[in-house]
Amino acid sequence: MRKHTSATRQGRPLWMFLPGGLLTLVVIVVPLALALYISLLDLDQYSIREWVGAEFIGFENYVEAVRDSHLPHAITISLGYSALVTLGCLPLGLAAAVATQDRFKGRGLVRSALLIPYVLPAFVVGSTWRIILQPDGIANRLLGTEGLWLNGPRSFWALVIVQLWAGWPLVYLLAAAGLQSMDTTVHEAAALDGAGHWAKLRHVVLPQLRGPVSLGLVISFLHNVNSFTLPFVLFGVPSPYDVEVLPVLTYVESFQNFEFGLSVAMAVVSLILVAIPMAVYLRAVRLDTERGQK
Amino acid sequence: MDRRKLVALAGAIVLGTALTACGSDDSGGAAGDNSGVTLTMLMGVNNIYPEQQRQWFDEVSAKFKQETGATVRFETFASANDELTKIQTSVVSGQGPDVYALGTTFTPTAYATGAFVELKKEDWDKVGGRDRFLPATLGISGPDKDHEVGVPFASRPFVMAYNKEMLAAAGIDKPADSWDGLRDQAKQLTKDGAYGLAIGYADGFDPWKFIWAMTIQAGAPVVKDGKAALDGPDTKRAYESYLGWLATDKVVDPAAVGWKNAQAIAAFGAGKAAFLPMVSASSKVTLDKSTVAGKYAYAVMPTIPPGATSLPGGGVAATSILSGDNVVVAKYSKHKDLSLALVKLLTGEEMQTSYYKTFGELPTNQAAATALGADPALAAIVESAGKSVNTPFTGGWGQVQLALTNVVVQSIPDLSAGRVDDAKLSGLLGQAQTTAQEALDKAK
Repeated sequence: MRKHTSATRQGRPLWMFLPGGLLTLVVIVVPLALALYISLLDLDQYSIREWVGAEFIGFENYVEAVRDSHLPHAITISLGYSALVTLGCLPLGLAAAVATQDRFKGRGLVRSALLIPYVLPAFVVGSTWRIILQPDGIANRLLGTEGLWLNGPRSFWALVIVQLWAGWPLVYLLAAAGLQSMDTTVHEAAALDGAGHWAKLRHVVLPQLRGPVSLGLVISFLHNVNSFTLPFVLFGVPSPYDVEVLPVLTYVESFQNFEFGLSVAMAVVSLILVAIPMAVYLRAVRLDTERGQK
Repeated sequence: MDRRKLVALAGAIVLGTALTACGSDDSGGAAGDNSGVTLTMLMGVNNIYPEQQRQWFDEVSAKFKQETGATVRFETFASANDELTKIQTSVVSGQGPDVYALGTTFTPTAYATGAFVELKKEDWDKVGGRDRFLPATLGISGPDKDHEVGVPFASRPFVMAYNKEMLAAAGIDKPADSWDGLRDQAKQLTKDGAYGLAIGYADGFDPWKFIWAMTIQAGAPVVKDGKAALDGPDTKRAYESYLGWLATDKVVDPAAVGWKNAQAIAAFGAGKAAFLPMVSASSKVTLDKSTVAGKYAYAVMPTIPPGATSLPGGGVAATSILSGDNVVVAKYSKHKDLSLALVKLLTGEEMQTSYYKTFGELPTNQAAATALGADPALAAIVESAGKSVNTPFTGGWGQVQLALTNVVVQSIPDLSAGRVDDAKLSGLLGQAQTTAQEALDKAK
């Protein structure tokens, strides 16, 4: 009580942070602390009922995750395919944004259509592509190839292609938004200076899009690293070796093998991995606001 | 201790917020006036007969109300994963459904959590006595007779469907009783765009059931007395045989490397395969609507292991895993007696018969099963029910099962290329052995 009056006296009603702070505590801090604690326990199907009493085993889960499990392999797969997808999103997203920038008949329709892959639920995308990529499916017939897409070395590329198909509209969306907010006088000035189409794109448009597009890329990367539904529906469990991604591995340890402690340790490792691009992301957001305030 | 309390409290807060929608228990005893008491039962959703299932729920609820005054509310889960999540949250938080229907192979895992009521003599009496059930169906109720949690509720043994016309045209009078014989028949039947066998190699469950059956028939079960034998010669032969059907014998459609069980059923239903092993009676619904309606029959699967012409010494002529549903009562339930009364109602002769008639799942109730009599359409399925053998009762079984399936998943690229790579298979089996043994060692 006293605290909050004093805060008010200083003209800073800090107590107003209370609802938000409490929410953060319950939604983020407590589960995170619990997860860190569980990752240090030997928690499995035998101890889940009295889970607080599960044996404390220090960092053994982490040691097992890194040394004996498929975690390092899964990290390589996850990061590798996410990076490829993110790189692939860039030209596609930019090209689509630039192509739909100038007014033409049916532009609204095209713009909406471009978003379809992004708004479809991952489950639907996964099921549809699963049918397309069957050994006797459309993909093999159209490409004149035969054999497997959903297992074996090609499955990695199947994952990249499907994830790219579903994910690139995000970059398009952000790039299009960036283009929309661009000052038209800049275009006019560039035109007056005699800049051609390409020069305008290269020296005027793209530099201005750097902010929103790099945000799009970071979000896309994070989304791919964390993506569970799509690989799960496409390939099922147990995962084929070439597409054993991190979220699916974590899921299998928890919900098929009941190694909850180990699984949470894996989740913590993946959290750290995600935190790295996250830091880049937050930094990018900050830079952006600063620029906006100028 | 303080730290534990703190953590428990924190856990309770987190789970409490997530679980507000779950339990609906009022406190109160089971005896006397039960009006106003609501029991909750969790069951798998029936995708084949959704409408009938809703009606059945209403019927049970009405009947239970009439008998005890209490109501039953049914909750359904869509997949085994849903079920598991629900069980986990309920087990940790100590609230949730009172009664659960569980798949038989999941019963050991559920037992391992220690969250379900172990049935003592008086508990069995409350559900109508242990001897009201077919003895074979009690095989996976608990680790031994004194520690049983699961009450058998439905039986879904696996059998093999075969296309009568195709067999007759090839001059085969009945399906072989050995796996090698079946393979030879399948070779004979593979022609004119049709294949001998329809197999769901990409199914998440089918593969391990084949391997399990072949190895137990060979007298070398994959798990025995807490020891895994996944890297033994019989296990390897089982895999070679199972994978060989497609890779080297060429009696399975090459597209089957991507099939799940449903797609194998569809291929058989389209008349593109002569044999469809590893299906339960529920496949009847699909097949009776397909082009092979009236042209197919069920038979038990072979019981003589690959590489043999008669059952070897120590081999068990298992036709199927012991498959179906058990019902368990949660320890945290505040209405144990009422829950047992519900189990009694569900496993009574009348309910069991009507359940069979509605859903095609065999009764576990002795009287109801006997009354089904000698329906020829059911003969093979009833026979398989009697010759089903339970999977090992260990909390580590889920992991063993996954390890067995994983060997098939990782062999699929080779399979598709038309070979079974010996060295790679041995390597995979070695890994599977390690995983399985670790899981068994952890079992308590």
